[in-house]
Amino acid sequence: MAKAFGIVTSTPRRVKVAGLQDYRSAGAISMFGRYRVIDFPISNLTNSGIDNIQVYIGGKYPRSLVDHLGTGRQYNINSKKGRLQLLYCEEDTRNAVYNTDVANYLANKDYLDRMDAEYVVITPCYMIFKEDYSVLLQQHIDSGADVTMLYHKVNNARDHFLNCRVLTVDENQKVTSLAINHANKQVQNIFMDTYVMKSELFLELVQKTADYSSTFSMSQMLESGLGETDLDIRGVQHKGYFAAIADLDAYYEANMELLDQKITKNLFTADWPFYTTTTDACPTKLLAESSVKRSVIADGCEVAGDVENCVIGRGVKIGKGAFVKNSIILSYCEIGPDVHVENEIVDVWTKIRRTKELVSPAGKVGFVRKSDLL
Amino acid sequence: MKQGNMLAMILAGGRGSRLHELTSKVAKPAVSYGGKYRIIDFPLSNCANSGINIVGVLTQYESVLLNSYVAAGGRWGLDTKDSGVFVLTPREKAETGLDVYRGTADAISQNIDFIDQYNPDYLLVLSGDHIYKMDYAQMLDAHIKANADATIAVIGVPMKEASRFGIMNTDENGKIVEFEEKPAQPKSNLASMGIYIFSWKLLRKMLTADMKDPNSAHDFGKNIIPQMLADGRTLLAYEFKGYWKDVGTIDSLWEANMDLLDKNDSLDLGDHGWRIYTADTSTLPAYVGENAETDRVYITQGCDCEGKVTHTVMFTNSRVEEGAEVTDSVLMPGAVVEEGAVVTRAMIANGVKIGKGAVVGSADSEHIELVSRNVKGVE
Repeated sequence: MAKAFGIVTSTPRRVKVAGLQDYRSAGAISMFGRYRVIDFPISNLTNSGIDNIQVYIGGKYPRSLVDHLGTGRQYNINSKKGRLQLLYCEEDTRNAVYNTDVANYLANKDYLDRMDAEYVVITPCYMIFKEDYSVLLQQHIDSGADVTMLYHKVNNARDHFLNCRVLTVDENQKVTSLAINHANKQVQNIFMDTYVMKSELFLELVQKTADYSSTFSMSQMLESGLGETDLDIRGVQHKGYFAAIADLDAYYEANMELLDQKITKNLFTADWPFYTTTTDACPTKLLAESSVKRSVIADGCEVAGDVENCVIGRGVKIGKGAFVKNSIILSYCEIGPDVHVENEIVDVWTKIRRTKELVSPAGKVGFVRKSDLL
Repeated sequence: MKQGNMLAMILAGGRGSRLHELTSKVAKPAVSYGGKYRIIDFPLSNCANSGINIVGVLTQYESVLLNSYVAAGGRWGLDTKDSGVFVLTPREKAETGLDVYRGTADAISQNIDFIDQYNPDYLLVLSGDHIYKMDYAQMLDAHIKANADATIAVIGVPMKEASRFGIMNTDENGKIVEFEEKPAQPKSNLASMGIYIFSWKLLRKMLTADMKDPNSAHDFGKNIIPQMLADGRTLLAYEFKGYWKDVGTIDSLWEANMDLLDKNDSLDLGDHGWRIYTADTSTLPAYVGENAETDRVYITQGCDCEGKVTHTVMFTNSRVEEGAEVTDSVLMPGAVVEEGAVVTRAMIANGVKIGKGAVVGSADSEHIELVSRNVKGVE
């Protein structure tokens, strides 16, 4: 029996991936051709030996995420001993202030109470990184801390990670402050929305937060109590690849960045597979007239045109004479003959046939709606 | 779906010795094909797509990998309450000791008890080593409509090649009047595809008798079918139109892979109405590098293509490094062509590495070169 169970939280209200998130929860957003963002946190948990996992699903459009997760078998979860539990939480549409992680926990409190693991690992659905929680849990136990918070040090916080929280630690790694990134400093510790603590303490904190304010999230509660609390809250620095898919630019950058094979090889290693759901797509055909450069291309595609610096999802058709550059084309799209697409994110099932020129300025990526015809 | 009235048995015990080293450790049905598949994915996916729920797979030669592969029936969706893929290897029995399968018919005879558990009306017998997409439910409809005792799927082959096949001579209603194995002077071009539907009650009776016949080779083509004809039974030829390939040799396996490179190939693996299912691998999508040149390439998950690749099928996790040239070739799963190596008209076996600057195969060779061991680079 694993010592910990896992929680993958639903998208915090400050996270807004414009366009993509209009139709689906952030965890269900397609990543790097064949993954969904949520594949990364769930694979981290199962690779760490945690196979009792609760996924909290908020928002108006749970279908995409529920479809994708299914029974969780693809994540290597033993279907008898382990469990991937999908917990739905209704959002307050009149006032978003009520939509917090704590509200989600309370709505599903029965299922939390029944978890009998001693510890809980809480991780967000919209961040991409590799972390062995069996190591982090041991570190947490050895340190004697009450709460361990994972962070990543960055040097571009002025114009990145704007919807994330930042934290500071003292020389003993005790967390001394926690706040929204105000973009006033380049070097910051980005809080990875990931906690380790005892299940008992977690339930206590949930109740305490709810009693304190109905609009508070757990991180807000910890933030407001820092300094006066008796809790020993420590930070652990994460090393390696890290991305927060917290807005559309971050989404675009993360995909483009992974075209660099050095970065990809850091995140994707043979000993730490990231699992996803197969669609049983056949391989991809690169036809005689095609040219593909520095691109990632998923299965089931048929390419007759030119592709440069792109991430191409499953089942995409790119016609003869088409030119697609610096773009992310999501699954089942069609780029017609002689169409020029540059600096765009094209959402699923869209056909670009008649609009022959679809070019956004560099540094200002465009978004093309799903199931559209252009 | 609830269990239907037809059960399938796939004959997957053959070695396929003309595939040389490709089958030195695995049975032919487990050989890789088409970038991400194994040959046996085709009959298994056809069964799943035809609504057949119970599939027995009869294995014998080098069966360890094949057994574990097919036992995970979930890959083809065959792991529900009423469905399953069952591995049937020769077993020790109380009265006879351990018998290997003596022939195709014997493999079924030795598993009558398995089939009886499900008590089907019809038995579909398939060979596990052909590439094709076929709806067996339609074939069953034809079998029932003709009130046949057995139905054999046939395909028209070029007349000049007909003497390489088992040929069915039929009357104007498609009834089989004569069966000739590899005839010198073929009278028809309808070749048996090794796909049979039998009415189970009759076949069961015939198999029970055949088991006891010391002069029988216990083979469908040599014994059971001729016996049925001699008994005046109704045998229907069911003509299949579409892509079908016996991939029994290195050349034909290579050809079947090359067939996928045409823009409108007739196998059409991208057909969403009839998908072929296979094992899922946790690998990144294919990556095509900055200096890669690709022209007619079939490429899949886990591939890394950085060199010049022309008219080639790249299987899962295969890699072509910068400056390497690969033409008219098949790179099996995990094959690596290092910097500056040149590969032409060759099939590089699973996990084999072609070292830096090495040259393998040639453009004017009569046969495709199978490379099943690492080739050292030129220093």
